[in-house]
Amino acid sequence: MAKVLVIGAGFAGHTTALYLGNKLGRQHEITVMSNRDVFGYVPSWVWVGVGHMKPEQTIFKLKPVYDRMHVKFVHAAAKEIHPDASDQYVLGEEIGSGKEVRLDYDYLVIAPGPLLNFAGTPGLGPETGFTHSICSLPHAVKTRDAYLALCERMKKGEKVKIVIGTGHPGATCQGAAFEYIVNVHKDLLKKGLRDKADILWLSNEPELGDFGVNGVQIKRNGIVQKSSEFIKSVFNDHGIRYQVQTGVTKVEEGKIHWQNYEGEEGATDFDFSMLIPQFKGQPFKYIGKDGSDVSSKMVNPAGFVLVDGKYGLPYPELSQTPEAWPAQYNNPTYPNVFAAGIAFAPPGPISKPFTNKNSLLIAPAPPRTGMVSGVIGRVVAMNIADLIQTGKMNHSERMTEMVAACIASMGDNLWDGNAVTIVMRPVVPDRKKYSNEFGRDLFISHLEMGVSGAWMKFMLHYTFIWKFKGLFGWKLIPE
Amino acid sequence: MQNEQEFSKAEKFWMNFKLYQLWRFIVLNVKIYTIAVQSKFH
Ligand SMILES: Cc1cc2nc3c(=O)[nH]c(=O)nc-3n(C[C@H](O)[C@H](O)[C@H](O)COP(=O)(O)OP(=O)(O)OC[C@H]3O[C@@H](n4cnc5c(N)ncnc54)[C@H](O)[C@@H]3O)c2cc1C
Repeated sequence: MAKVLVIGAGFAGHTTALYLGNKLGRQHEITVMSNRDVFGYVPSWVWVGVGHMKPEQTIFKLKPVYDRMHVKFVHAAAKEIHPDASDQYVLGEEIGSGKEVRLDYDYLVIAPGPLLNFAGTPGLGPETGFTHSICSLPHAVKTRDAYLALCERMKKGEKVKIVIGTGHPGATCQGAAFEYIVNVHKDLLKKGLRDKADILWLSNEPELGDFGVNGVQIKRNGIVQKSSEFIKSVFNDHGIRYQVQTGVTKVEEGKIHWQNYEGEEGATDFDFSMLIPQFKGQPFKYIGKDGSDVSSKMVNPAGFVLVDGKYGLPYPELSQTPEAWPAQYNNPTYPNVFAAGIAFAPPGPISKPFTNKNSLLIAPAPPRTGMVSGVIGRVVAMNIADLIQTGKMNHSERMTEMVAACIASMGDNLWDGNAVTIVMRPVVPDRKKYSNEFGRDLFISHLEMGVSGAWMKFMLHYTFIWKFKGLFGWKLIPE
Repeated sequence: MQNEQEFSKAEKFWMNFKLYQLWRFIVLNVKIYTIAVQSKFH
């Protein structure tokens, strides 16, 4: 009987666990170790952050799902990973009791999502800083409360400054920040308060609509349209000001300090701000059999797990080398250790990085969205099942092959809400396969705005929660 | 987009015209499902 251990139960880890439970759960031991005993449907935290959805509508308990799927659940936070042969185990701390938990494994999947590195930008974040975040559920709730308090001030006639975007020169997840800024706009409009707010988009993207993926390009009626023009139209239409090519360096009460591509330093005042922090890998200890630190074999300096990608290529070469992107997501030194979702180390950025004259690198990190995380989670599960059953892996999917569909909410109301439906193939441009300058399939890639997007976003919330609960037909729903 | 800066009145009309949007809802769902499901065979 093989032992498979999954760390983390988010989009990646939970998807892996569902497929493993389904394929192997009756004959083998599948265990999930997670520091939270609920699954969180992260995309809907945008709506929590404006007070349009109750937090409890975005979560459900994991244990009953795992009981049905023949998966063991351990409610603990992983701390140490021991990857050496014949000494393979993970140490964690049980949530509540604080007791040490030791779980041995034959195959390990590391999928604990990002460490939200607020410390990377002095003054950033809701705990020790002055800005807000929607990257965890407690943060989204705190953001909602601060936002609603701000609305009360506006109702009394006060004019306010709102800044939303990225809070670090290397931040990712611009899509979530974009959804939040447009939802705030729409909510203020409905409350009759829009004229009381000056709203600014502040981001590290090379241009509007880049989203850390080098933008989205489509062909419509023979003409190439770009997300940069599209998002510019959205912001102009909504009266949202924008400032891109900007890396936030420090935050003080009511003041965001930044540097731009030109190397200029400036400060922007705010009354309310939601800025996405830098993401890092979870700070696990990686310890060899002899007690030595084996981190350099397992993770890159940011703590993301090294997998089967080609690392160290300069951007111009990487952007022409689709095969540099990992395909099976296992570690070269410890091939029975896999990483899925945000936890794996991408070989480099997708968008063009820029270093300004003060040597500040302003470069959005590649987003590993929910769909990408889910697809990788499934590929990893299928390969582990293959290894156990046949001894060799048969599945692979690089981000240079993957399709991503993303519905960016722009107001949740089903009558007058809105959303941008974005389809990209592939997520990371493949300039060898697609001969256009963008390295994308311009026929499949799609960009469209309308109320139908709001219906889709609403539908996805319930469809995915259904899938993640492992209910009837869950496997028919794509990741 | 009528130019690079803003949506035209016609575009805004179609974005909110419910019957047309119902059609787009069906088309987009079919499109996304068919391309996303292909990933299952990788
Ligand atoms: C506000 C917001 C909106 C978004 N909207 C979209 C969207 O519309 N579409 C889309 O495709 N993507 C969206 N994303 C991105 C998407 O949520 C992420 O890509 C996805 O959650 C990444 O999955 P993951 O499994 O890698 O990490 P996570 O979902 O973060 O899951 C990690 C899990 O590991 C657990 N964990 C952490 N540390 C430990 C530890 N030490 N031990 C054990 N367990 C641990 C966590 O509790 C969590 O359950 C959004 C992101 C945000 C923040």
